[in-house]
Amino acid sequence: MKIYVGIDDTDSIEQGATGQSANQLIKLIENQRWGSCQGLTRHQLLLHPDIAYTSHNSSMCFTADIEAIYLNSLIEEAGKFLERDSAPGSDPGLCVVAAEQLQGAEELIAYGYETKKRIVTKEEAYTLARKLGVHLSEHGGTGLGVIGALAGVGLRMTNNDGRFQGRLKIKKPGATISVAEIKSSSPVDRVQSVDGYVLQENEEVRLGEKLKTVLLDGMRNLLVYRRESGREWETCTNAHLENY
Amino acid sequence: MDFWIKNERGQAQFKGGRHDWPQASAIAAGCLHFSLDDEDELVAEEERSCYNCRYRRWTEHSFICMKR
Ligand code: SF4
Repeated sequence: MKIYVGIDDTDSIEQGATGQSANQLIKLIENQRWGSCQGLTRHQLLLHPDIAYTSHNSSMCFTADIEAIYLNSLIEEAGKFLERDSAPGSDPGLCVVAAEQLQGAEELIAYGYETKKRIVTKEEAYTLARKLGVHLSEHGGTGLGVIGALAGVGLRMTNNDGRFQGRLKIKKPGATISVAEIKSSSPVDRVQSVDGYVLQENEEVRLGEKLKTVLLDGMRNLLVYRRESGREWETCTNAHLENY
Repeated sequence: MDFWIKNERGQAQFKGGRHDWPQASAIAAGCLHFSLDDEDELVAEEERSCYNCRYRRWTEHSFICMKR
């Protein structure tokens, strides 16, 4: 069965990062041989002075294919992991959604978008989770991480939000290679310009320092741009990707 | 020149917004508190920048320094 796992607020100002926690959780699931996990994405939520985020208010989500019999063990162990390994003073939340059991994905997606626009309360998150029958739990501190954990899953389900965690390692910065080679030597599904042009297999791209990918149309996209005077496609910088 | 403004909560908010790369890098170069944030949260190309610092807390249009 396909599941979505969302976590949030496992860090404190001095310690930890939710992306690292998610990666450890992925290892835990795979080491237990409960199934295999796919692409970890980071989803930006609202930046507002009244929200108690550490420094960026983002949430993390990954998908996994697991045997249904392991679902309860996974939820239990993931909760224990968050309690044990999150930074002191953090407010971790966990959301686990079994795709095939979910009725009302649109509501979850709408909730995800809401968390980008307005302050959502913990009660709202729990009310929706109960209504949809999805797992949502808190594992320390104020437990406010449940808001983002649920939102991370909703936003991942849009297939059009967030950046993938980590960077690609293809060739050295400055190398120019074809789209076909990028796709055959990395998890990239598509190479697309910032204004939506999908590059052909034989087109060439100059690689920058840090290669990050984003989730668009359900695919892992490497975004590229052309300098004003330039003809060459170049991979986007972090600054280009700040709105993803 | 002072690059900070006190917000209504008394916190130090960067006046340069989210894209003053040279200034954010210049401040971090002289800051003893600078600590590189997690890889996924880096925004500036030059590593040492307030924009890449663990102690910057993003706001809608800029950031607050949690160490000032
Ligand atoms: S954000 Fe604050 S602590 Fe970090 S480098 Fe800038 S001034 Fe220093």
